[in-house]
Amino acid sequence: MEPLLDVKRLKTYFFTEAGVVKAVDGVDFQVGKDETVGLVGESGSGKTVASFSVMRIVPQPGRILAGTVMFEGEDLLAKSEEEMRKIRGAKIAMTFQDPTTSLNPLYTIGSQLAEVIREHQKELSKEQALEQVMKLLELVRISEPELRVKAYPHELSGGMKQRIAIARALASGPSLLFADEPTTNLDVTVQAQVLNLLKELRQKEKMSLVMITHDMGIVAEVTQRVQVLYAGMVAEVAETRSLFKKPNHPYTEALLQAVPRIDQRKDLKVIPGNIPNLINPPSGCRFHPRCPYAKDVCKQKVPPLEVTDDGHLAACHFWGELSLMGA
Amino acid sequence: MHIRRKAKTENATTEKQETTSTRRRGASQWAVGWRRFKRNKAGLAGLFIVLFYVFIALTSQWLAPYPPRSFLSLVQGENGEPPSWKHPFGTSKAGLDIFSEVLHGARGDLYVGVGATIVTVIIGLAIGAIAGYLRGGSGDFILMITQVFYTIPLLPLILLFARVFMILVAQGFGLTLILLLLGFFGWPTISFVVRGEILRIRELDFVKASQALGASRWRVIFRHIVPNTLTPVIITATLLIAGNILTEVVISFLGFGDANTSTWGITIQEGITYMRTEWWTPVFPGLATLFAVLGFNLLGDGLSDALNPRLRD
Repeated sequence: MEPLLDVKRLKTYFFTEAGVVKAVDGVDFQVGKDETVGLVGESGSGKTVASFSVMRIVPQPGRILAGTVMFEGEDLLAKSEEEMRKIRGAKIAMTFQDPTTSLNPLYTIGSQLAEVIREHQKELSKEQALEQVMKLLELVRISEPELRVKAYPHELSGGMKQRIAIARALASGPSLLFADEPTTNLDVTVQAQVLNLLKELRQKEKMSLVMITHDMGIVAEVTQRVQVLYAGMVAEVAETRSLFKKPNHPYTEALLQAVPRIDQRKDLKVIPGNIPNLINPPSGCRFHPRCPYAKDVCKQKVPPLEVTDDGHLAACHFWGELSLMGA
Repeated sequence: MHIRRKAKTENATTEKQETTSTRRRGASQWAVGWRRFKRNKAGLAGLFIVLFYVFIALTSQWLAPYPPRSFLSLVQGENGEPPSWKHPFGTSKAGLDIFSEVLHGARGDLYVGVGATIVTVIIGLAIGAIAGYLRGGSGDFILMITQVFYTIPLLPLILLFARVFMILVAQGFGLTLILLLLGFFGWPTISFVVRGEILRIRELDFVKASQALGASRWRVIFRHIVPNTLTPVIITATLLIAGNILTEVVISFLGFGDANTSTWGITIQEGITYMRTEWWTPVFPGLATLFAVLGFNLLGDGLSDALNPRLRD
């Protein structure tokens, strides 16, 4: 079956004064119909920029240099800005990290939701739009919607704001939703609510969901497939279960080992070093300076993305020789 | 201080819980701002002073016993007299009734102060918005021009232009000329504020979100970015009115003003020579200037406390 979204060899660079930042450097990824995919990596690994590239909202001085983004059989990179605008929000939508700033403080909740609805359904009257706003608020389980519709963002809690931001993204019934770290800035109890809501909405609204996150717990909880990014390149792609059981890339192993576990009395393993400077990325495999298994060849040759014995895709020279630990 | 603050926020939360069940409409930022402003005594005092001056300015032609720039008391032989019931602020050597001049001066000086600020805000908003929205070279270029304008010492330049143009323009437009000069040279202050705010706001998630959900470029700029810059613009503009009034007084005091219109500066300038014997001629318009500037500054500070997002809990 043809995937809903098929991104190939995507390159998005930022042309800053300090140099060219290779934020996304030849990334492939697919999202199937009704599928939940996790886009995983540390801050700066290119996960957010990759999703911005799909929607073509990469901020200056960033530019998409190469690649194809096939969505429902059409290349989004070949579309005009005007055509793109009709796709954003209507077919592909996105929610953002920080619920405190993701709503405009000057307007009421109702006005901000109605804005998105009427942008894509211009024939609707104000009353009809308001009706839809109420339905959306009920959909994301906002209590007393007739009251909240007139509220300003500062009068709501963080969890409520995030649910409203989700409602706004769903306003025009998109078939693909990018959720950029939807729970990072929320309390743990509220995190679970928002995650369950997203899971449930994905089924009810029959859409595909891309969870952008660095939290392996969330990945285990909601996704079916995982795409691990490191320094703007794909490290590993696999079914979620299989990835947790037996990662095929040392970086994935390190990510899984860095999750605190309450059932094992061990010191928490951290990944040494930082994500590399993407102006002058390391030669060969970009993970080699931090990789405990690195050999000489890792410094010289970029590992290709290969199908492994476990059915994963992994970009490591030694996937066949290493036996890595899962969670 | 900390304890007091905490008590305040607790108070606010209980208040909020009570009201969410009973109150119908949400409170906009302006409503919240006004609620905070009402508690600020200095700000309220500023507001009352400003409203008082506005009232005087609008009604001076009926309130004042003598018309502007009327030397009638000279004819009546009452020039150079100290304050009395007939002339509450005294009369000048040349025969001006100072009380009338102070009232008419409020009209002239508020006209210049507010008018110049409006011109400044329009130019500053436009240039600041462009400088903030354009990235890279062109934005930097506009910023550079703004900085050049900001560095030029304004007063001598305005004095020069005032002297040159005052001869050229028809009589009676002198005050408007000064208004335009102050407006045209004062915009960098607003421009910096707007540019900085736009740079900050354009990075916020709601701007990105509206873009990601299909809003057009214009909608993003004019519905989401620019309205969010208005709070600091209003605060800066209020403080700028005070500055513009003061500058007008200085220009007139130095003798570069319009001698055909009543302003506080002109009256001070005419009276300063006789300061030793007739203190009332410069002192009353001086006090009028002092309280006007004080009023606008208090109002500006009050607005800043009430609307500044940094201090909001």
